[in-house]
Amino acid sequence: MSMEDYDFLFKIVLIGNAGVGKTCLVRRFTQGLFPPGQGATIGVDFMIKTVEINGEKVKLQIWDTAGQERFRSITQSYYRSANALILTYDITCEESFRCLPEWLREIEQYASNKVITVLVGNKIDLAERREVSQQRAEEFSEAQDMYYLETSAKESDNVEKLFLDLACRLISEARQNTLVNNVASPLPGEGKSISYLTCCNFN
Amino acid sequence: MADGSSPVKLSGGAAVAVAPEGTGGGCCSELSAELIRSLTELQELEAVYERLCSEEKVVEEELDALLEQQSPIESKMITLHRMGPNLQLIEGDAKQLAGMITFTCSLAENVSSKVRQLDLAKNRLYQAIQRADDILDLKFCMDGVQTALRNEDYEQAAAHIHRYLSLDKSVIELSRQGKEGSMIDANLKLLQDAEQRLKAIVTEKFDIATKEGDLHQVERFFKIFPLLGLHEEGLSRFSEYLCKQVANKAEENLLLVLGTDMSDRRAAIIFADTLTLLFEGIARIVETHQPIVETYYGPGRLYTLIKHLQLECDRQVEKVVDKFIKQRDYHRQFQLVQNSMMRSSAAEKIEPRELDPVLTEVTLMNARSELYLRFLKKRVSSDFEVGDSMASEEVKQEHQKCLDKLLNHCLLSCTMQELIGYYITMEEYFMRETVNKAVALDTYEKGQLTSSMVDDVFYIVKKCIGRALSSSSIDCLCAMINLSATELESDFREVLCNKLRMGFPATTFQDFQRGVTSAVNIMHSSLQQGKFDTKGIESTDEAKLSFLVTLNNAEVCSENISTLKTTLESDCTKLFSQGIGGEQAQAKFDSCLSDLAAVSNKFRDLLQEGLTELNSTAIKPQVKPWINIFLSVSHNIEEEEFNDYEANDPWVQQFILNLEQQMAEFKAGLSPVIYDSLTSLMTSLIAIELEKVVLKSTFNRLGGLQFDKELRSLVAYLTTVTTWTIRDKFARLSQMATILNLERVTEILDYWGANSGPLTWRLTPAEVRQVLALRIDFRGEDIKRLRL
Repeated sequence: MSMEDYDFLFKIVLIGNAGVGKTCLVRRFTQGLFPPGQGATIGVDFMIKTVEINGEKVKLQIWDTAGQERFRSITQSYYRSANALILTYDITCEESFRCLPEWLREIEQYASNKVITVLVGNKIDLAERREVSQQRAEEFSEAQDMYYLETSAKESDNVEKLFLDLACRLISEARQNTLVNNVASPLPGEGKSISYLTCCNFN
Repeated sequence: MADGSSPVKLSGGAAVAVAPEGTGGGCCSELSAELIRSLTELQELEAVYERLCSEEKVVEEELDALLEQQSPIESKMITLHRMGPNLQLIEGDAKQLAGMITFTCSLAENVSSKVRQLDLAKNRLYQAIQRADDILDLKFCMDGVQTALRNEDYEQAAAHIHRYLSLDKSVIELSRQGKEGSMIDANLKLLQDAEQRLKAIVTEKFDIATKEGDLHQVERFFKIFPLLGLHEEGLSRFSEYLCKQVANKAEENLLLVLGTDMSDRRAAIIFADTLTLLFEGIARIVETHQPIVETYYGPGRLYTLIKHLQLECDRQVEKVVDKFIKQRDYHRQFQLVQNSMMRSSAAEKIEPRELDPVLTEVTLMNARSELYLRFLKKRVSSDFEVGDSMASEEVKQEHQKCLDKLLNHCLLSCTMQELIGYYITMEEYFMRETVNKAVALDTYEKGQLTSSMVDDVFYIVKKCIGRALSSSSIDCLCAMINLSATELESDFREVLCNKLRMGFPATTFQDFQRGVTSAVNIMHSSLQQGKFDTKGIESTDEAKLSFLVTLNNAEVCSENISTLKTTLESDCTKLFSQGIGGEQAQAKFDSCLSDLAAVSNKFRDLLQEGLTELNSTAIKPQVKPWINIFLSVSHNIEEEEFNDYEANDPWVQQFILNLEQQMAEFKAGLSPVIYDSLTSLMTSLIAIELEKVVLKSTFNRLGGLQFDKELRSLVAYLTTVTTWTIRDKFARLSQMATILNLERVTEILDYWGANSGPLTWRLTPAEVRQVLALRIDFRGEDIKRLRL
């Protein structure tokens, strides 16, 4: 790991119905762009962004998947090696919310049981066309034991927060794992526990 | 006094000379006259006088110097006087020159303004000629069109119209305002009529030509459209004609397919072949007609043609794929596969072998499509490049985007994506089921280190990934690499894991040693099951072999995965050099491949776990009693016994023999690398256990010598069986032997501390004392007195 220039490497896979804005979220985070009129993603796309969190370089490998049904067998093959999944729906599209249980079944079937899943309601810039209330989504995510966040890739709302909070959680999870596997030699600076909710308040 | 201060200051030092008598110039001296006058004391006066005298001396020197300069200044003045008249001459010449320059300047300005006027006149003349030409052309066109139309010389007529259309509209306006305005108006009307007529005629003739399939006529009129400004219409009509050709040919081909004998050599890939024919046909059309389009319509127009053609291509692909799905029962097979993937014990399970041909055909179909789409992309891109050479970056990007959209989202692409989507699931099924079969049919041949399933499983995985690769779709390839990693890491590794979990059974010899209890237990359980298993020993051997073979298997798996990674890397360099799959392709592929490579380490870990297990369950229980025998051999011996030991070795030879026998089994059954790791583990074990028994024994001088001999034999033997250096592992024991061999307690000091030389002590001072105490002939107080 030390050969390359990072302390942690995580794989994050975005999934969810077609047209909910997965590609825009990834583009916004990795390139700071919001390219309108994006064509549908074909297969999977691959982006890398390295962020620094509490002085540690974290390389995020972000896989943006096609939402259309015909690419499902391709995207499913990426679940197993993912450290985190971002399950995205469109708050202005009831249908994309109603498909969530189906997506959760897929996660159950293909992803590793250690995977962290985040539920994201995108397109809050179109609040006047909202079809799924925040409360409903929160209740759903709570029942499924998922972290929930509403974002706007267009206005860049909560996009950084989404990925950085996730990175924080992945770091603390990775630390716990090394602790479990490697009780005799804790990592340096492991004395204090890290709460991911508080460690990212830098914007 | 008033006049005294100011002039003196100006004239400087010169005034000092005049000053002495008092009033006037005294100020120039540092001492003012008043000051002098106010002085009353003689002493002070004398001091002042002295200072005045020295000032006077300085002034005189300065005066002398100035006087010396007088003569050179005078001579310079004379020279200056002589130059006077010359300067006057020069002034006159300069005035004259200035006059001439002013004159020339005005002359030049005069001339150039005339030249400018001339130039303007010339330009206007040119314009006038141009306009006259245009008007003449217009007239010529008017006349020409009529004649050409009458003669059915449509090319000529179109050329005239083209000329007319490319004329400056203001020219036409101007000529209407001229004297012959009304006549020209009438002519213009005729011309416009002719244009309309020509358009109608060309369209009609083109249609007739296409209906008759007269390629020559089709091309003839196709070339006329752009002359009339009907680029889009020409291209769309022409592509309509070409599409019809494509459709006819495709229908013929499809009919041929339906009539194909299933025993035909290419029957298994007949649909891929049909698609190939379709694509080749379109490619040929593009190749043939691109030059005409480029010449008569200009560059950048190929996109329009392809857009029309692709629609027809999509229609034909749909037909072919529909037939494919029906004839090969593709969807039903997919359904069956999906069902049996969901519930592992489905009633109707597809034999994976049956899927083999259809999977190959689908990848071939996709590969052909990719090739075709790549061909289109290359052609249109380079055509755009020529057409957009002067265009802005935005236009270029817009064009590229249009092209990408056309190719990525055409029905052909979508259909293929769908087929590949099904393919991946089915290929995964094929891989999993065939791997399961290989595991079920696992056999081991004597003399082999590994069993058949390892080779079989990797053959299957390679085949599946290779087939995905042959589809030319990077996403498909990456998905299969991911799924292979899952299959190997989760399923196949689990198989090996389970085999290792059964453990390496205890040997009969060991059972013997453990005593009767275990034997009774075995009998008891066998009796309970209602039969006395005579195959007990045999199956124990089998279980042992299975454990060793599994270790070898794990090692080979780890190596095979690394090899697979390297092979895939080199296989794909060619693919990437063709620019397949966009800019992210290489990064995606590398990432997936490194995940696969990581599985190799998982197998290595498994091997290591197995070896540790083997060492602690099979080797340790055997080796420990052998080493414990050491305790029953006295090392408190006299000369006679020592000699007797020489002849009849009491322990080490038998120990070595036992080790050799035991390791022979492993040496034969394990790969050299694994065997080496195992012996390394074993030597560590021996070193630790031997140390324990030595510390429990007692020695005298000869006993120590005996132990030293024994240790040397053991180390010599172990050195021959392993490639690792074992001296290090036995360093502590050798040092113990050294201590046990001492003549006197204090002799230790010859080896300790400053005298240790190259020897690094692995024993702590406390341990040294402990070992010394093992010598019964050493006195405890001597040992206590040692300073270590």
